[in-house]
Amino acid sequence: MEYGSLGFQALAATIKIVFMILGFLMPLASILTWMERRESAMMQDRLGPNRANIGPFKLWGITHFMADAVKFLFKEDFIPPKAHKFLFMWAPIMAMAPALIVAAIIPFGAPLCWGEMTEKVGLGGACANPVNLQIAQLDVGLLFYFAISSLAVYGATLAGWASHNKWAMMGGLRATSQMMSYEVTMGMAVLGSFLVYGSLEPGAIADQQTNIINFGHFHSSWGIFLQPLGFILFLTAAIAETKRTPFDIPEGEPEIIGYFVEYSGLRFGMFFLGEFLEIVVSSAIMITIFFGGWHMGATVDGFLAHVPNIWIFPKSLLFSLLTLIVWSIKVFVFCGFQLMIRWSLPRFRSDQLMRLGWQRLLPISICNVVATALVVLAVQAW
Amino acid sequence: MTTTPITTTPTPPSSSTEMVTVTIDGKTQQFPKGTVLLEACNQMGAGVPFFCYHPGLTSPAVCRQCLVDVKGQPKPVPSCYTPVADKMEVMTKSPRALDVRRQMLEFTLVNHPIDCPICDKAGECLLQKHYFDWDAKLARNDGIKIKKAKVVDIGPRIVLDQERCILCTRCIRVCDEVAKTHQLEMADRGDHEILTTAPGHKLDNPYSLNTVDVCPVGALTSKDFRFEMRVWELYTTPSICPGCATGCNIEVHHSRGKIQRLVPRQNDQVNEHWMCDEGRLTYKRVHAERLAAPMSGGAPVDWDEALDDAGRVLRAALDAGSAGVGVVMNAQSTNEDLYALARLTFDHLGLGKAYLAGLDQGWSDDILVSADKNPNTAGAMAIGAGRLRTLLDLANDLKSGALHTLLVVGTHGVIGKDGAAGALPLDRLTTLVVIGTHRDEVSAAAKVALPLCEWAESDGTFTNRLGMVQRVRAAVPPAGDSLPGWEILSHLARKLGATMEFTEAKTVFAEAKQKLPFMKDAEWGRPLLPVQLRFAGSRG
Amino acid sequence: MAVGVKVVNRPGSLGQQAYLPAIAEGLGVTFRHFVKNFFGNVTGQRKKTDIATIEYPEEKKAYPERNRGLHRLMLRDDGQVRCVACMMCPTVCPAHCITIVPEEAPDGRIEKRPMIFEIDELRCVVCGLCVEACPCDAIRMDTLDHAKPTYRRGDAILDKEELMSRGVRSTAVQGGVGAFWREQVAGQPQTPASGEVVPAGAPHGPTPLRDHGHK
Repeated sequence: MEYGSLGFQALAATIKIVFMILGFLMPLASILTWMERRESAMMQDRLGPNRANIGPFKLWGITHFMADAVKFLFKEDFIPPKAHKFLFMWAPIMAMAPALIVAAIIPFGAPLCWGEMTEKVGLGGACANPVNLQIAQLDVGLLFYFAISSLAVYGATLAGWASHNKWAMMGGLRATSQMMSYEVTMGMAVLGSFLVYGSLEPGAIADQQTNIINFGHFHSSWGIFLQPLGFILFLTAAIAETKRTPFDIPEGEPEIIGYFVEYSGLRFGMFFLGEFLEIVVSSAIMITIFFGGWHMGATVDGFLAHVPNIWIFPKSLLFSLLTLIVWSIKVFVFCGFQLMIRWSLPRFRSDQLMRLGWQRLLPISICNVVATALVVLAVQAW
Repeated sequence: MTTTPITTTPTPPSSSTEMVTVTIDGKTQQFPKGTVLLEACNQMGAGVPFFCYHPGLTSPAVCRQCLVDVKGQPKPVPSCYTPVADKMEVMTKSPRALDVRRQMLEFTLVNHPIDCPICDKAGECLLQKHYFDWDAKLARNDGIKIKKAKVVDIGPRIVLDQERCILCTRCIRVCDEVAKTHQLEMADRGDHEILTTAPGHKLDNPYSLNTVDVCPVGALTSKDFRFEMRVWELYTTPSICPGCATGCNIEVHHSRGKIQRLVPRQNDQVNEHWMCDEGRLTYKRVHAERLAAPMSGGAPVDWDEALDDAGRVLRAALDAGSAGVGVVMNAQSTNEDLYALARLTFDHLGLGKAYLAGLDQGWSDDILVSADKNPNTAGAMAIGAGRLRTLLDLANDLKSGALHTLLVVGTHGVIGKDGAAGALPLDRLTTLVVIGTHRDEVSAAAKVALPLCEWAESDGTFTNRLGMVQRVRAAVPPAGDSLPGWEILSHLARKLGATMEFTEAKTVFAEAKQKLPFMKDAEWGRPLLPVQLRFAGSRG
Repeated sequence: MAVGVKVVNRPGSLGQQAYLPAIAEGLGVTFRHFVKNFFGNVTGQRKKTDIATIEYPEEKKAYPERNRGLHRLMLRDDGQVRCVACMMCPTVCPAHCITIVPEEAPDGRIEKRPMIFEIDELRCVVCGLCVEACPCDAIRMDTLDHAKPTYRRGDAILDKEELMSRGVRSTAVQGGVGAFWREQVAGQPQTPASGEVVPAGAPHGPTPLRDHGHK
């Protein structure tokens, strides 16, 4: 198949989509459902779920997520008699789908060099026929992310409304107000990064961060060092978007009852899994913008590029695989960090949540944008 | 230390009696001359303990538990044996009085077996009460207790435990003074003194169960109530004995919807403190073979259907000729049921043939028992006002064919053990409607049989042989679906096109009180909830 | 009383108001626990971790000696039930889970005994008041056992035989402080009952109830 033809692109995109969803997002999100319980247990001096096993293989209870899935499959799919059937059935899909869609723009490894697999590889994918490890290389990039992820609010809102349940309705309304409020801050928080890197395309942003920190040429440093405030703002807003503690008032399982109170079985499972998918995707986005994507600093990158050269293997493919592993570890660690935040902080009250969003985070993020713009202007003039 | 007055005989001060001024524990009050000092003290709330004294009996002053200090006396005096005197100064709680009373209690307990866990009296035992009120200390005596006989069968209704007896002689005096027989006495001396029956006698007089009531400990226990219940599980409802026309005031002791025993309630005008053994067992019939559900044509149906059927057959009978329709009232019914039935019979339906049934005459004495075994004959006669005929008339009318339809309200004694009623040819009737309490021959022969409440299940009044209208209270829930008589008759009246709108027994009573002269002074009394004996203090 | 208002001052400095140091500190605490427990658990050194979980079916915790467990009925020296059906335990029971129907004992040394003694373990709130109320050391809850789960509710109602099957002969001194005289007179002829008819098997012997001295 000829490089660059429509067939080639379609095949490559399909393989990448299948890998991204079935090979990475779904397994990681599934395991996170178990990991969250186990990690929280470890933090709280407990053991957590460690019983599920396949025959003699216990694997610390990892198979709990499979047991959960089997349970979800066999539970009654209850639909309240007065619920809006169509929306009730579609709401979980609308809550889960955006997280899968936005994964398209995330770069997850060094580009493959098509046709030069066995050649010596350089850094940054500088080859004639690169195949980017990114499903869709969109110039609008992060705008696409905001556009699609904001659709997730429909899932929560419609789930609450269609359930014909007052508590679900209130939960849906809380979810709506919270997600819409924090989207503003989230957008503002990454504006600084756009200004610094001069691009909206995640691949391009990641490729600029070749150094962890470089005082001489700070443009190539990780975003966390260029935009520390932006990172904190984005992280806060992203956690709020995933509706997790300390921003879990739309759900509040034990006390205040969330928008999915009427859901059971597999439909509830989709909400459940969707939440963890959002964690994975938001972690990946944060890795891309603030932690250099699949880059691990010039030294490590150089070492990784060197490894294939001393081993008999398709060299470019091996390099891409190594960077993919680096990227995966980063995402995994970041997911763990998000879980840790959930189990460390107490929940905000509704009014505190709104005050934090509109009166604290939004002004700070605007200030951050203005200050970054002035600094960038000054640097360019200098 | 809290003590509650155990029993007080109300001695209303009348202007004719001479009053004396007595100071008790620093408080001065006037009492009629001749009042027993113990009564005076306990009316003032002193709570002086006693065993052998009983307000209905003479005082032998043998237990020495009621000793009090009287100013000027060299040693404490037994207050149950001392009449009040003018300017008397009494100290019921002086150290000396308390000390001698405590010593007397210790003395009483020396040979008591303290088998409270298996004693039926536990919970209403005077010895327990006084021990906890006045002593509540460990015994100093670890000597050998005198063994005496337990579970001695001294009569058909009583079991004696000689170990528990504290030799107060109350039971002997009950037999002597109430039942007028000397069937119990003391034998042996000192530590070995025991209560026993008089030679050649059993404790079998008709008032023998009063000895169980007055026994301050568990020496005498009733075979009927023995080991059935602990007394603190019982609830009490004041009521009237249905056993005869005397109308003894009683307390119905019941638990979990079942009557456990009947005990007398003090009323000096009727029964003082006593009641007969026969009356105590009248509760058995409340839980005997009861008609639990309305029956129509021999099959149980619900109330609506039964009332429809009853109304239909009665209406058909009335249309066929109201001269052939008769009504049988019962002297066991309350005034309210009888009044409602009289309204229906005479005022609404205008029937001429009404008969009065009731249990057969029995034995009597000049103490309490009346020959008339029905509690409300006087009320029935007054309500009937001369229009009621006898069961003999009923038998004759049935034989002559003058009746084709009969409405029986209350089946007690309609078919008696002997006499004319036994020959009642009920099969001559074309229609028999029965409102009855039990499953007997009469309700079995009925076309429609409606379940009626027994006396302990419905509110109302009885009129005794003296013409006193006394209140009966519902103590236990009705058996099965049964309803009070006035309520059934109200429903039935509606089916027959008459309006008789009674909503509760009290409204029937209020109307009867206006219409009937003999009830004009009657009082309904205030509503009472059953009191648990656990909280009612000792009955001793 | 009017509702009191307590003014809680918010932290003053900007650093405190941002809550970031506090959040970092909190994350540090959880992270420290996580690391300690995680690595201790992974390397199989449970003892070095802070984990307090007891993995129930495999490992069991020893109950304290005074644990209140499943009921049992104690026995007398002759193997009969000690209970005399005094109804103290159903009276004091806050859950009304004890049903006793007394009867006259035909041959026992004590006149009264329970014909039916049932405890509904589903209703029982395991308060132990029945044990405290019992004057005869007849009912105990020292079996260190639980009420067994059952498939039918009726199976959780334990009858007299079942309760007695766990019972042993009580070592409590019968008759309390003054017991010794009862043993002395047990073999001696009884005081005659004054010519009265005493039913066969009437309890002339010592009554093993607490006497006055032990009240």
